[in-house]
Amino acid sequence: MLLKKIFGSKGNKTIKNALWYNHPIFSMCLGICSALAITNKVDNAIAMGAGVSFVLIATSIIISPLRKLIPQRVRIISYMITISSFVIIVDMFLKAFFPVISVKLGPYVGLIITNCIIMGRAEAFYSQNKTGLSILDAVSNGISFTVTLIVVAVIREILGFGTLLGYKVTPGGWENWVIMAMAPGAFFVYGVLIWIYGEITSR
Amino acid sequence: MKPVRKLLDYIYSIKLLKPFHPVIDAVDAAFFSPSELTEVKPHILDNIDLKRYMFAVIIALMPSTIAAVVFYGWYVLAMIVVSYAAGGIVEVIFALIRKKHIEEGFFVTGIIFPLVLPPTTPLWIVAVGVAFGVFFGKEVFGGTGRNPFNPALVGRLFITIAFPTIMTTFWRVPFSDAITAATPLSIYKTSHTITPYIDLLLGQCGGSMGETFRIGIIVGGLFLLFSKVADWKISISYIGSVFVFALIGNALFPMKIAPPVFQILAGGLLYGAFFMATDPVTSPFTKAGKWIFGIACGLLTVLIRSFSGYVEGVMFSIVIMNAFTPILDHLVLSIKYRR
Repeated sequence: MLLKKIFGSKGNKTIKNALWYNHPIFSMCLGICSALAITNKVDNAIAMGAGVSFVLIATSIIISPLRKLIPQRVRIISYMITISSFVIIVDMFLKAFFPVISVKLGPYVGLIITNCIIMGRAEAFYSQNKTGLSILDAVSNGISFTVTLIVVAVIREILGFGTLLGYKVTPGGWENWVIMAMAPGAFFVYGVLIWIYGEITSR
Repeated sequence: MKPVRKLLDYIYSIKLLKPFHPVIDAVDAAFFSPSELTEVKPHILDNIDLKRYMFAVIIALMPSTIAAVVFYGWYVLAMIVVSYAAGGIVEVIFALIRKKHIEEGFFVTGIIFPLVLPPTTPLWIVAVGVAFGVFFGKEVFGGTGRNPFNPALVGRLFITIAFPTIMTTFWRVPFSDAITAATPLSIYKTSHTITPYIDLLLGQCGGSMGETFRIGIIVGGLFLLFSKVADWKISISYIGSVFVFALIGNALFPMKIAPPVFQILAGGLLYGAFFMATDPVTSPFTKAGKWIFGIACGLLTVLIRSFSGYVEGVMFSIVIMNAFTPILDHLVLSIKYRR
């Protein structure tokens, strides 16, 4: 009821779409690049998910109110500039407060600029919807992306390092699956997860 | 055979057992030859069916299997049992979900796979490897006949990359419990010493279980070639091109590339050339395609053995060429029937 009051009739649908029916990774296969590269450790995944969510929300706050002012012809460039400014903020924030994670994520923080989820949402949603709804969409998509990253990272960190958030969780004599710590391992995990998602949604 | 037929017909008539029809079909087909035709590769121009075809491969593998048991003890049999069980579970699950027959190809995968592992491989790694190979190497593509890569090699590749220490340093010399990191190829790479050829032939060196007793592989391989189950063109062109490229390479870079006869006898080349590269599903079916396939495999093997960080290149070269199989066939056919 509260949702309906604040966001109108589309609120419910927006959340459902972002969290399941138009899942950014499983359904649309967006943002796979960063998701493949940094999901070998759960703390990396959380940092990346938080970074992307922040950029998503901040972009929606800027772009959605300005959607009628931005000329059609230069809209992509305007989105790009907005997104990159926030990515630079995230990069500097990580460098200042979490230098270890910043080093581990390396170039992938900067590459959030090219993360298709943000560009895609800006083009498909923020440029056509009211600010409140856009923020809701940004939050839901951010949660969706972060949760997926964490799920994949949990599987990969346990198999690849035998740890979870740095704590050893596997029994003695555990042999690390080196391939899971490398990017190819993410392909197998994503492949299976997308398959399961497809099986469930096609029912 | 009549009572068996009657019993099977009775089991078919029980409605409760309907979901398990693929399993019953497999038993049925083991006793009575099926009447349907193959839809996908391997196509056979003879009155043998897929099952006897695969059976011939298993017979050809017997010398190396028995030699492995003699060399490394009963643990080898345990590995084979685990391989069949773990891969069989994946196979049966897919057969039940897809409501199709259990595919015969698995009987070969189940025994080829453990034979290419080091004799000290833990059983759970055998299970992970074969399950992965059957799942990602075959089932996700649609089962036997639709797989672009040899499932046993996919499994082996996966565990080689996943568990590099276990898969590359825990070899055993036959009849001893000593663990050694040395295979003839790695000895050559570090110290340029050539293991005596007679030791290689009799299997008195470190190596995968099934690949060390090379006389047995040659006997089994020749059986396959003469019974025309495996195509001689691939095996001969593979071994021949390794010989030629090693001969040229050894003359040009004697410090990098090992001499030809040693290249042929060492490592998994004979095993790969006779049992892996000739897999009818993942190798070309055109004649010219087969020659190109074998020669390219040989070239890649020599290159990987000599210039990469890995000591053995048979597995990689066959998998790489498997990926090129459809395009080789396509090219050969389109050149042949160009108007």
